Amino acid sequence: MSEELQALQKSSDTSDLAQKTKSASSSLTRILKYTLVRLVTLFITVVVGVYLTILIANMGGYVDEIRRGEIRESVSLRIMNDPVLKNLPPEVRFERMNEMIRLEEKRYGLDQPFALRSVRYLRNALTLDLGRSQTMSSDSGSRQVRLIILERLPATLVLFATADLILFFSAIFIALFLSRRYGSFWDKLVVTLAPSSSAPGWFYGIFLILIFAALLRVLPFGGMVGVPPPDNTLEYILSMLKHMILPVTAILLSSIASQAFSWRTFFLIYSSEDYVEMAKAKGLTSRDIERRYVLRPTLPNIITNFALLLISLWAGAPIFETVFNWPGLGRVLFQAIGLYDTPVIVASTVLFAYLLAVTVFLLDFLYALVDPRVKIGGQGSSR
Amino acid sequence: MKTKLTLNILSVLLILSVVLAACAPQEVIRTVEVGKEVITTVEVETEVEVIKTVEVEKEVVIMVTPTPQPTTRMGAWVDTLIFTEQGSDAAVTQLKVGELDIYAYSVGNATLFQAVKDSPELAYTNSYGSYNELTFNPAEFTDGRLNPFTNPKIREAVNWLMDRDYIVQEIMGGLAVPKFFGVTAAFPDYARYVDVARALEAYYAYNPEKAKEIITAEMEGMGAALSGGVWAFNGEPITLIILIRTEDERRIIGDYVGTQLESIGFTVDRQYKTSSEASPIWVRGNPTDGLFHIYTGGWITTAVARNQGDNFSFFYTPRDYPIPLWQSYTPSAEFDAVALKLRNNDYTTLDERRELFEQVLALSVQDSVRLWLVDRLSFSPMRNNVTVAYDLAGGISGSQLYGLTVRFTGQEGGTVKIAQPQILVDPWNPVAGSNWIYDMMPIRATQDYGLLSDPYTGLAWPQRIEKAEVVAKEGLPIGVSLDWVTLEFAPTIEVPGDAWADWDAVNQKWITVSEKFAEPQTANIKSTVYYPADLWDITWHDGSNLSMGDFMMAMIMGFDTGKEESAIYDEVQAETLAAFLAHFKGVKIVSTDPLVIETYDDNWQLDAELNVSTWWPNYAYGPGAWHNIGMANLAETDKALAYSADKAEVEQVEWMNFISGPSLEVLKGYLDTAAAENLIPYAPTMGEYVTADEATARWANLVDWYATYGHFWLGTGAFYLYKVFPVEGTIMLQRNPEFPDLANKWDRFGEPAIAEVDIDGPGQVTIGSEVTFDVYVTFKDQPYPTKDINEVKFLLFDAAGALVASGAAVEVADGQYQVVLTAEMTQALQAGAAKLEIAVSPIVVSIPTFAAFEFVAVP
Repeated sequence: MSEELQALQKSSDTSDLAQKTKSASSSLTRILKYTLVRLVTLFITVVVGVYLTILIANMGGYVDEIRRGEIRESVSLRIMNDPVLKNLPPEVRFERMNEMIRLEEKRYGLDQPFALRSVRYLRNALTLDLGRSQTMSSDSGSRQVRLIILERLPATLVLFATADLILFFSAIFIALFLSRRYGSFWDKLVVTLAPSSSAPGWFYGIFLILIFAALLRVLPFGGMVGVPPPDNTLEYILSMLKHMILPVTAILLSSIASQAFSWRTFFLIYSSEDYVEMAKAKGLTSRDIERRYVLRPTLPNIITNFALLLISLWAGAPIFETVFNWPGLGRVLFQAIGLYDTPVIVASTVLFAYLLAVTVFLLDFLYALVDPRVKIGGQGSSR
Repeated sequence: MKTKLTLNILSVLLILSVVLAACAPQEVIRTVEVGKEVITTVEVETEVEVIKTVEVEKEVVIMVTPTPQPTTRMGAWVDTLIFTEQGSDAAVTQLKVGELDIYAYSVGNATLFQAVKDSPELAYTNSYGSYNELTFNPAEFTDGRLNPFTNPKIREAVNWLMDRDYIVQEIMGGLAVPKFFGVTAAFPDYARYVDVARALEAYYAYNPEKAKEIITAEMEGMGAALSGGVWAFNGEPITLIILIRTEDERRIIGDYVGTQLESIGFTVDRQYKTSSEASPIWVRGNPTDGLFHIYTGGWITTAVARNQGDNFSFFYTPRDYPIPLWQSYTPSAEFDAVALKLRNNDYTTLDERRELFEQVLALSVQDSVRLWLVDRLSFSPMRNNVTVAYDLAGGISGSQLYGLTVRFTGQEGGTVKIAQPQILVDPWNPVAGSNWIYDMMPIRATQDYGLLSDPYTGLAWPQRIEKAEVVAKEGLPIGVSLDWVTLEFAPTIEVPGDAWADWDAVNQKWITVSEKFAEPQTANIKSTVYYPADLWDITWHDGSNLSMGDFMMAMIMGFDTGKEESAIYDEVQAETLAAFLAHFKGVKIVSTDPLVIETYDDNWQLDAELNVSTWWPNYAYGPGAWHNIGMANLAETDKALAYSADKAEVEQVEWMNFISGPSLEVLKGYLDTAAAENLIPYAPTMGEYVTADEATARWANLVDWYATYGHFWLGTGAFYLYKVFPVEGTIMLQRNPEFPDLANKWDRFGEPAIAEVDIDGPGQVTIGSEVTFDVYVTFKDQPYPTKDINEVKFLLFDAAGALVASGAAVEVADGQYQVVLTAEMTQALQAGAAKLEIAVSPIVVSIPTFAAFEFVAVP
């Protein structure tokens, strides 16, 4: 090889390398830029969402009026039921009552304007300083919002994770099974039963409790464990599993048919793509077709559903938990809303918002990993 | 085709299964037989000899433990109490199948009540104490609209427009009694003045024509005109705004009230609101803005109140409640003066009080700035093999005696499962912890008392005191009912100079009366309490003996937390202390073994029993020994924890919790410190009563206790706190085997002895003739002992419902009385159906019993 040729080749190699380096550098810049923009966008979304929650939870400050009225009512009842306070001379009693009202208002922070408090709520929320509740205590008696949520979180996660994971994977497998047997008896059965999901889980729960707890007396009415809770860990777990049978069943009954129907339809659409027909024509096994040509392109959707499912576990379900007397986060949030306990409401919201934002952010990258058609920060095809 | 058929069959089966499932719960309910009737109100109308009508209204009450059962068992009847959470609907189902034994919450749901009554497995207790009313806005509106309720005659007339019997039967499903006054029908004041009350009730009985007539006249007088059947003012229809609470039956009551007002020509704007939504309008709002005319109010009393005389001042005058609506009240001078006298107990004899009540009952209805509708009746369901003493106002959860009396019938031992809507709502600490009824119920079982409240009369009984002497200032209308207390009167009661009147938080010493005041002090009441000789044998749950230090600590804490100079100062407690010092005059320890304490106070009650101060080491929210309170004080001093929610908020620390949560680790640290230092808190004072040896033993006991049970909750009650499961919502209490009383000590409170009354007499009475009626007062078919009856009164009503005579029945024998209507009395009757009503007021229970007998008066 001549020197010129060698030089040309070297030049060409260098050019390729430079090209590759430039391309890599460009990709990195693009990804970084995209990441930054995405993070800022998501942060702004979280800020707006949380501040809206603060405004809504406080009815734009009207909750202060409600709280002031409630304080006066509760103070009057306290005095009415206290024979000693009742017997005080009117002016002394007035003084005492006004002082009690002042102290209560101070405790709720009503001595500060709402606008100021709303900014403080926002700042604390964004920095994940969940702070202290106004009226609620955690199960162990703490006013720290962190503990109010954390103490209930395991109970919520264990129930809804079990139920929803079973539901999710069962639905996927049933759907795949049905998509292979379109028009079969089982397919028609699921299609027929799909509307049964219009009833919520707690609705099925009531019937299950009546049948299996009240009538047959084979399963507990509700609660997380037996009363009193067993001392032994193994017995505790067994008791918890027994108490989970009805709620998990209720969730499955309420959703399995519709979820299976939904996924089955989704898979059917993908199963009729040309490339699937081509694969069939090539004589690939149905298992291979399912794995390579149906599941793979639908993976972003499956992952999205799964990720959102994991977030939804955090929310709990107030009515469902009430029906099964399950000590979950849903009841906490429900109670907080009823009590206008802003810090707890805001904490629940901000946690959910952050989880959602992080999930959405990560999903963008996951899509790129599982689907070669997706290019992060790219034109047109980027998500 | 085959597949289609299969699918059709499957669909049918699916629908069938849903239908069957839907039927399941009702079948469960229907399979039960009609059960034992525990409490019921029976109205029987039977024709006798064509012209005689008998109307019997009687109450039959749960039969539990008729007589104390001999036993050698100490403390509680049962071994374990388990408290858990449950809603009322689910609880009833679980009670039926034996998953629960008691649902301690007072429920007011009529449908559920019927289900409980229909179940052979269930019994129930009844309690009173909550009541509903219509709160009128009596203010002139600034926007020129006419407010009819500025006129007291219109407010009064609305009484005739309200069919309280309809509300009781049709809206409340029988779980209520009609109410006309600011006194509760189940409490002593109603029984005392029942003749006055019944006469007024007859006068204000439902009469819409009369209401319409008066309202029409008054409205026209105010310049309004009835145009096309609708009231208008200045050409504009008069629209009445009713704030209707939506959480309970008040929603239907509000609708009913609206309908009644529409029936006489008013336009009604029904505004449905929850408590939170309504509160800013009626409590905070300016009544002159005219944002409402009527609010459907509700109130609750948590214990049997023996003196409700001050209710008239509270509910009808601007004197006692500093909110805008109350400040718009303008009672007549006469009404205001009488209400003030009753508020301040400004009378010297009970006869004088009676005269005041006669006036105030009438004047309050004439004012009617507040129109009472019903006294609500609540129930607490339980298994029918369970017995328990309950409070007539507070129900089971509010009873001090429930822990000492609850048992399975005829059985010793066992576990009673009790459910409430919530449990462990707030942190437990005795000084300023949770005051939720759901938490106070288990707390009460862990504490003992100097005096116990009689659940049926509100009087006090000695639990840990031997006797008491009360000296009252001459002229105070105080009486005595029970023999454990003596009552004397003195022209003046001087407070000894060496009695303690206040607390020096800096030097941690008591301030004597002579140090605090330059002048000698007097008090309205002096109570001397004698404790039993074996008092110091009583032990706390950790094994420590009760000691003088515990009493002293409780006394000091009552002052120290409210003193600004104190290391544990709390603004909230300062408020409580200020209220206390407004009437407290001094306390003196006369002797420590046996313990004798004198207390001097200006606050007084009508009953000598309620004027006794015991200083038992119970704090506002539970029991406390000097050592666990001393340990907690260390944490409070360091601002590591705070007793009250308010201070915890200010200091941004945990609200102290003796039984669970992050507080425990903090408290454990201070326990170690206290034990290492052999701490005697408030040593300058406590050191005189607590020895170093006692302190050593106490700290060792508390260390062991925490190591065993994992909490710091100590009491001397019949149960100790065994385990807490915060997330699971369960509390376990175990029987305290060291409790010093026999289990049957309070068995006599197994049931309220509500009298049953029957009347017999002629069905036809000639006007102007003398006639005699026989009255039979029984309890469980046995004659009601005369010694247990305060009085048996009769009221004679004519055909128009007007009261023509009243008086006392004459005792013939135990449970047998006669009513003699003289010729003068019958002369006052009109021809037609007349009614003789009997009111029996027992001493041992505050609820009076009524019976009526109708006859025909002929010329």
